[in-house]
Amino acid sequence: MQVGSQSISQRATADAMLSSQRKDQSTRRSFGLDKIVLILVLLYLLIPLGATFVFSIHDGKNFSLGSFQRIMSDADFLTTFPFSIELAIATTILMVILITPTAYWIQLRLPQARPIMDFLTLVPFGVPAIVMAFGLIQVYSSPNTLVSVLSLGLVPFLSNQLNVVNTPPLMVCAYVIIALPFTYRPIDNNLRAINTRVLTEASYSLGSGWWRTFLTVVIPNIWPGIISAALLTFATVMGEFTIASLFSIYTFPIYLDVTGQNDPHKAAALTILSFTITLICVLGIILLVRLRPGGARKDSQIEIGAAK
Amino acid sequence: MAFLELENISKYFGQNAAVENINLSVERGEFLTLLGPSGCGKTTILRMIAGFETPSAGNILLDNEDITNRAASKRPMGMVFQAYALFPHMTAEQNIAFGLNIQRKPKDAIKRRCAELLDLVGLSDKGGSFPHQLSGGQQQRIALARALAVEPKVLLLDEPLSALDAKVRVSLRNEIRHVQQQLKMTAIYVTHDQEEALAISDRIAVMARGHIEQLDHPEEIYSNPRTVFAASFVGNSNQFRGSLVSVREGLFQSGDFLLRVPPQQDLTDGQQAMVLVRPEEMSISPTTEGEVTSENSSGNHISGVIELRTFLGPFTRFHIRVNDHLILTADIPNQQSRDYYVAEHVVLSFSPGACQVLPLDSEESSIVKQAEKETV
Repeated sequence: MQVGSQSISQRATADAMLSSQRKDQSTRRSFGLDKIVLILVLLYLLIPLGATFVFSIHDGKNFSLGSFQRIMSDADFLTTFPFSIELAIATTILMVILITPTAYWIQLRLPQARPIMDFLTLVPFGVPAIVMAFGLIQVYSSPNTLVSVLSLGLVPFLSNQLNVVNTPPLMVCAYVIIALPFTYRPIDNNLRAINTRVLTEASYSLGSGWWRTFLTVVIPNIWPGIISAALLTFATVMGEFTIASLFSIYTFPIYLDVTGQNDPHKAAALTILSFTITLICVLGIILLVRLRPGGARKDSQIEIGAAK
Repeated sequence: MAFLELENISKYFGQNAAVENINLSVERGEFLTLLGPSGCGKTTILRMIAGFETPSAGNILLDNEDITNRAASKRPMGMVFQAYALFPHMTAEQNIAFGLNIQRKPKDAIKRRCAELLDLVGLSDKGGSFPHQLSGGQQQRIALARALAVEPKVLLLDEPLSALDAKVRVSLRNEIRHVQQQLKMTAIYVTHDQEEALAISDRIAVMARGHIEQLDHPEEIYSNPRTVFAASFVGNSNQFRGSLVSVREGLFQSGDFLLRVPPQQDLTDGQQAMVLVRPEEMSISPTTEGEVTSENSSGNHISGVIELRTFLGPFTRFHIRVNDHLILTADIPNQQSRDYYVAEHVVLSFSPGACQVLPLDSEESSIVKQAEKETV
């Protein structure tokens, strides 16, 4: 019996060694290929960025930070950049306030409306921004009877009384529509992942109402989705050109375009600046997601991946 | 008047009736289980009591107060869910304190109560853990503590053990029962597991197709089922379909077999019925090949061949093929089962008193088939 058990244990050890050797071999084999692919991808991503950076600090003869200094002292930059940030923040806030409770309500009470929302969130992909911008200008400049009836009098009121045509508030509303595909889906995915209905019912059974449940149970658990949505909205607005151009509103992307035509070194410096700001945003989001209570969960990792 | 009353409760989803005309009374401190296959309406009843569904008709009274249309958050109910439903971003202690915070209890009272409940469910050292750091059993214990924290008048448990493995399931069900008895809490428990229901309940409501088939104590449900469905769903049984030859003499014809059954008063000669015999009521004895049913002796004897022999710890289960269509099951204590092996010819015996005769109509036959599927 002892002999038998010894031989079994020896065989098990030998098997373990063999499998570990095989594992080592396979790791060594795949390690080389992995590394090559990784290096190629990094080169693909970093070479244009590096080249842009070099171009921004090299005027053909000398290396200098002159282009960055010119940006910092440019009145247009100092107006358009904060203005675009304001637009992005306003859009992000409006989007979160509108979309999060809507997505929650659909998940909880109207799951049959999900296909409609899925369709609606895809529409901005299908309708080019230029069409949307023309449509908005057309509708709000001279609202006809059909538009007045369909909007229950809201469009003529906004157009005539508040004069919203070609104003930042109308542009923010348009940005919310453009950002819809990027915002609804991360939030909806998070809501599906956390078993929203059961958590809501658990909260109700403990005496909590709808709003308290939404704010104290749902929001903290879909926080990664909201952050992802906010980041994507922010980035979309910071880079949006068509609508701003047709609305004749001078935003950062338009400034970038104008600068690119006049001073390519300055344009390269602006690109690097934009990239750095985006990078800081992403890192901030990753930190936010990690720092939330119980944040080391698997779903957080997924969202961090998505945010990256 | 009972503590919790359901009066003529019905719930329709579109054209389909999930439950119809349910009348149910639950006494204070009672542990009542709603038992039935999936889709029988048991969870719908629980959700209506909790306030997550509104009844299409009927009233729900708690302590003589009509709560039919009261919002879920305003009902004094605690609920434990199958999927635990702990708030993932809160620690175990914060989960337990959630309902107490809503009640605006003083902070030190909340802390005391949390410690008390963590102790009650045996997880005093896990107060600071997040749900994902706890096992399934521990999460469900915390969920139980959270539901108890708000001192509900009724504790509702919706298949709380279904997601757990067998061993944890048994230990946790005993704990739930212990806690319920200790706190003298009124509890309504939903399950499709008949063993769980028999082990834990004061009374069981066996449900099928939106109706309560039988509402009784576990012993009565098991040993004296009143409907074919109740008999089929609760426990294992050998089933003989056929007709009553003589209700006065207690004779039942099922295929080739003439069975002796207790004399029947409520049934008539020639009526279609089903005879059920529990496997533990069967005994086996050796025989020579080809022996047929003995109709002369006082008991029932059927010969067959052992097809499968399964050792199940305290007893051995034999599957005995009687003919091409019928396999009977006998649970034999281990001392008596040692001499019998597969392919051996044996005689199965059971007394007339072990036979439960239940009238059979066409609707019930289909329900029975559903029950058989669920219990496989």
